[in-house]
Amino acid sequence: MAVNGSGDGHKRLPVYDESELTYEHPLYGAMLSVPGLSVGVTSIDAILNWGVMNSLWVFPMATSCCGIELMAAAASRVDLDRMGTIVRATPRQAEVMVIAGTITVKMAPRVKALWDQMPEPKWAIAMGSCAISGDFYRNLYAVVPGIDTVLPVDVYVPGCPPNPEALMHGLLRLKEKVALRRAGKLPPRDDRPDRLQVTKPSVARFLDPARDPAIDEQQVESALHATDTDRSDEPAAGEERASAEPPEPIASSQPSDLEALLRDEFGVAETAPKDGAPVVAVERHVALARRLRGMGYEIFTYVVATHFPEKTGKAPAPERFELAYAVRSVGKGSKVASWRLKLAPGEAAPSLVGVYAGADWQEREQWDLVGVRFAGHPDLRRIMMPENWDGHPLRKDYPADKACPPWR
Amino acid sequence: MEMSARVERAVMTMNEPQVVTVQYQSAVRGNVDPHLSIRHYDPEADMMLLHFGPQHPSTHGVFRMDLHLDGEIVVKATPYVGYLHRAVEKLCEKLSYVQQTPIVDKNDYVAPMTNEQALNMAFEKLLNVEVPRRARWMRTLFAELQRIASHLLALGTFSIDLGGALGGGSTLFIHTFRERELILDLFEEVTGMRFHYNTHTIGGQRHDLPAGFDKKVHAALDIIESRIPEYAKMTVDNAIFKDRTVGVGVLDGKLALELGITGPILRASGVDHDLRRDAPYSAYDELVPRVRVETAGDCYARTRVRFDEVTDSIALCRKAIDGMPEGPINGYKPIRQPTMAKATSGQVYVGIETPRGELGTFVVAGGDTPTSPHRLKIRSPSLHALAAIPYIMPGATVSDAVAILGSLDPIMGEVDR
Repeated sequence: MAVNGSGDGHKRLPVYDESELTYEHPLYGAMLSVPGLSVGVTSIDAILNWGVMNSLWVFPMATSCCGIELMAAAASRVDLDRMGTIVRATPRQAEVMVIAGTITVKMAPRVKALWDQMPEPKWAIAMGSCAISGDFYRNLYAVVPGIDTVLPVDVYVPGCPPNPEALMHGLLRLKEKVALRRAGKLPPRDDRPDRLQVTKPSVARFLDPARDPAIDEQQVESALHATDTDRSDEPAAGEERASAEPPEPIASSQPSDLEALLRDEFGVAETAPKDGAPVVAVERHVALARRLRGMGYEIFTYVVATHFPEKTGKAPAPERFELAYAVRSVGKGSKVASWRLKLAPGEAAPSLVGVYAGADWQEREQWDLVGVRFAGHPDLRRIMMPENWDGHPLRKDYPADKACPPWR
Repeated sequence: MEMSARVERAVMTMNEPQVVTVQYQSAVRGNVDPHLSIRHYDPEADMMLLHFGPQHPSTHGVFRMDLHLDGEIVVKATPYVGYLHRAVEKLCEKLSYVQQTPIVDKNDYVAPMTNEQALNMAFEKLLNVEVPRRARWMRTLFAELQRIASHLLALGTFSIDLGGALGGGSTLFIHTFRERELILDLFEEVTGMRFHYNTHTIGGQRHDLPAGFDKKVHAALDIIESRIPEYAKMTVDNAIFKDRTVGVGVLDGKLALELGITGPILRASGVDHDLRRDAPYSAYDELVPRVRVETAGDCYARTRVRFDEVTDSIALCRKAIDGMPEGPINGYKPIRQPTMAKATSGQVYVGIETPRGELGTFVVAGGDTPTSPHRLKIRSPSLHALAAIPYIMPGATVSDAVAILGSLDPIMGEVDR
């Protein structure tokens, strides 16, 4: 059993046990039991291998960016067709699954199901860093750290994304391996290339207090020698530090009539201290949105929920959620009108779906990821995470590298 | 606002078409209520539930729809996203400001240049950094080149979605990818990468234009321009193409606005809105783009807008490379380590016009460390485009469903993030 890259500080998941997957055909067993027939088996193998290696039909398990390079490889310039490789859209007609892109915990069961539908003998190519190891997403709650924890991988094509030429090289490598197949035994699988040995790890990752210190210890040990902090760029003490001071308050982009509206009609006295956006009372919020829509702010731009955990110490503050809303006016001189809501934990915000239909998915996303309820939303389900997911990942108390067995 | 809408479906019987009328109760304005349960549908109908995706070559990534079919007619479509949710926003909270550019490259992986631009423009606003004129012109040039590449890809994959209509399906795909490679070659010469460039930084650009770059840009644009009549023959002037797209997936302009849809889809529905002209950023105050508007709002109009924008972007790129000013390419001190850009407070939003619409970045400064944000949210245009599916899919056939999805040109990387 191969082991994930040795320099990877992440907790190691067992790579798929390949002994289960040895390709056995009953015909082979019968032929090999007759003395002297093994020579014939070898010849049959050679002929079969010659056929397979020159018509490797690819099933594109393309999830993200690498899928575009897979398309480019199949298109004009590189043209995989000339080596007998054509892309088939169904697993039942393909020999090679090219996993091109990040596999998430929501997608992994689907990949496994599709892999199980492919007929033997079958091969897998992990294309790109995400499929190989999860790349920089590997320590995040949603991403499978390498597709070889789900299914056996024969060839790894590193890169982010690999060039079409690199994919072609990977297919040539696979051809070599197909030629080695003898009497139903698959050739040994390649080892996962270790990217951390050549990549400088992130510094900020170590600053998360919620992280398990054991993981950090491992990572620090393997990483500290690489993060030799060069302080020569930092300005001296007396020198002006361009960015150390808090920046000027950002000029408000509200048009003047909006300010008048908020002051006179909605009676908003408080503004968010940082950027001048008005803080609106929760009960007046839908009326304000309806009013803005009538004023020509017709495009729903965003709703962002932010979790501020409880603060202790010098400036104590209770736990709260802040919702930032923005709508945009149409046409020349397009402007953004934005406002804020402040919510206590557990408090629901009135839904804007009745005013702007575009708020539907955005509010679902904020409910899913931050856990803010929207009262009156017709369909408040999870949108990004699986239905049975536990917790709301973008809360500050949610560990970024939360495990999700069996996929990560 | 209660209103009822009627969706008519034609069921072809052996002898004559029989029109069955279905009554919908709509709680949300628009023709169809996306939240209506399918149980309200005609109980006598021959219903079938078709799972479309998440692995399907026509879904443009990992997108899933549940299509409730009556015969071949879609009566309700429920989209499911999140199969590529990679926790980018959580990751950005962990990383410092200067480390995030290569992360957001992977969101809209067909147009990484504009991703970087949107993110770094938000950080520049947060940190009050002025971008030099040459860097702003370079950003405009890159964004327009990226727009050409992105629309070429959209055109090519759309032709696959339409299938046999265009000479075996993949002919146009082969053609547009050939020309897309020319743009990628230009980017590779500047940044060293075919995509995921990591060339925008806070305050400007990381890589300057190499010597003789203007000649190469003109040469590549000449080739692409010469091929446009050929594309026109295969798509917008092609009778078969028109048969497959005209009147299919009509999206009303009012509904598009309300759904937050921007970009070519909104302009195809008759709304004259383009952030490059309406809220100019980078060098768009000097290089004013022509805004194409179509009124039909169907798949043909959406393709037509993208098709014409390729021509406009070529002209804009020529202007940008010819008038490229001299000067510094970065207005910020050179960043050698991740902790150098700091902001302790502030909340900013910047939205720009990418090939798919308004891509915005909302940043709440003051995270655990001053070098990283407390919250970062990416407002993606494709998320809103997909939200239109429950409204425009009912009434279409299965083959039209594929065409409608292709004409929305969603990129799942930025939908799910």
